[in-house]
Amino acid sequence: MRWLAGAAVVALVGLLALGTWGLFPRPPVPSWEEATAAFGARNAVAAIVLGARLWDTLLEVLVYAMALVGVRMVLRPLSRVQPVPPVSETPLLTRAADILLGPIVVFAIYIASSGHLGPGGGFPAGAILGSGLLLLALAKGAERLAQELHEPSLERVEYGAIAALLALGGLILVLSWRGSWLLVGANVLIGLEVAIGAWVVLHHFASSRGEV
Amino acid sequence: MATVLLCALTLALAVFALTRRRLLWGVIGVGAHSLALAGVYLFLAAPDVALTEAAVGFALVTFIYLLALRRTGRLVVAATEVYPLLYQEGDAVAGLEWEILERFGRWLHRDIEVLWVARADIPRLLAAGEADLAAGGFLPREGERVLLSRPLVPTRMIAVRTGPGPCGAVAGDRGQDHLPPGGPTYEDPEELASALARGELGGAVVDLLRLREWQLRDRVGEAETAAVEEDLAFRFAVAPGEEEVHQALEGFLGELEASGDLARVRERYLG
Amino acid sequence: MEGIAAAALGIALGGSGLWTLVRRRNVIWKLLGLNVAAGGAILFLVAVAHRPGARPAIEGLGSGPAADPLPQALVLTAIVIHFATLALALVYVIFLTEHRHTQDVHKLEREPEEP
Repeated sequence: MRWLAGAAVVALVGLLALGTWGLFPRPPVPSWEEATAAFGARNAVAAIVLGARLWDTLLEVLVYAMALVGVRMVLRPLSRVQPVPPVSETPLLTRAADILLGPIVVFAIYIASSGHLGPGGGFPAGAILGSGLLLLALAKGAERLAQELHEPSLERVEYGAIAALLALGGLILVLSWRGSWLLVGANVLIGLEVAIGAWVVLHHFASSRGEV
Repeated sequence: MATVLLCALTLALAVFALTRRRLLWGVIGVGAHSLALAGVYLFLAAPDVALTEAAVGFALVTFIYLLALRRTGRLVVAATEVYPLLYQEGDAVAGLEWEILERFGRWLHRDIEVLWVARADIPRLLAAGEADLAAGGFLPREGERVLLSRPLVPTRMIAVRTGPGPCGAVAGDRGQDHLPPGGPTYEDPEELASALARGELGGAVVDLLRLREWQLRDRVGEAETAAVEEDLAFRFAVAPGEEEVHQALEGFLGELEASGDLARVRERYLG
Repeated sequence: MEGIAAAALGIALGGSGLWTLVRRRNVIWKLLGLNVAAGGAILFLVAVAHRPGARPAIEGLGSGPAADPLPQALVLTAIVIHFATLALALVYVIFLTEHRHTQDVHKLEREPEEP
């Protein structure tokens, strides 16, 4: 057994050493400009996240969704039974939320849908949208906002977004479809998923720990 | 150059955050550190990462920390040492007020941390948010902006006369009100006792428990005593911004009083 | 220069974060330390991807050498995942505080679980 393990270690080290000496032929790596253009993007990071390493991204989105399932499951029994007292109305915050919400949503959509052309993408867009919802929750109270957003249908939208994202991933990975619209769609779906996740976390924390 | 400066700022913010005593400052410091970190990413030609870090690390992460802290942080108690109320026993803290505080902490699901300070520093610490509660034989003075709990232990102020000479008191204590303006004050009660023993002072104005402690340890010998202020009580003080903690403490002490536990604890420590 | 400074900062952040992780007894402090250490690791990767005078790897944005986009892309998802796992960890901290009434690891180890 020991001999076997020793031989395996030596073989592994030898393979690595041979690899570093350049004995194996290396596949030609295209320049990042070509690779990016092949996926229909101009931002190389977006092309890698949604193209060359799409498996990685898809599985990370699944990890994100699973962490949210954990948050829901643990915090549900801890949420408060008695209704939370309404927040005191602060006119400044309410007005600011009214004025700022529109631009925040537009900015998030812009960041998501132009992620393949410039800096941005689904992940920051979702986080920005989540911060916008946080601002709204601060102004209105988390419970009232939760009623307006209708949690169960939000959950359905979330799982729908994941399913659509997996379908898009299948188109890119298995059927080798290429095109800008695929990247835009994937970015918007990722943004939606991240924003809903951020909202779920904030809402569950707020409802089990008192008002925002 | 700008990058190096920004790096230094980021590191300074992180070190500031991680060396704080209060968790709240730690969370705020880490939030500011995340924002500076986003700036560093921008200088490193990684705008996507910078955008994500700013949106996630600064806004969302800071906020969920704050929500989690809301009810689960630790309560910092600024206290002076007074023998049967709150005192150190080796590494541990003991005393009547400690028993109440510990039960209050369990009731609120929060850890209690005692910060030993001089009496004169307590109002400043409470106002600055460095501490949530004050304990250890706290007697309120005029003009202190604190929220007071219900009375715990009745007491009175006593003037001790050991000989001729000026009268002294603990700095910031209620006894200071009974001195003529500019009367000698001492940060540490022990110094007051030694000054009294050496004969530098002719007397002192202290509360009943402090006097009893001195008598038990033979710090003052023969002395005339006279009550200068009756009907006082030791209480807890709550920082002016912490109405929620104050309400919780009042409710908790009310329950303790109604169940008779408060009287039992008082009996056990004070007889 | 910039890349080296940022890599050094990443290592320093990792070190201070791990120091907090080991030395502090409060669970939330440990999570904060982990947060800072994760930031240091991410910064190190981004710093390695940087080369002197590099521009962002976006076509039509200046000329000259571009920063390596691969580590940046890997790090992007890591930041978001960190948020989700941190939320999960904090949920467990809340759970722990509700049931054991403390966040001090020494107390958690010493005191037996209440029935």
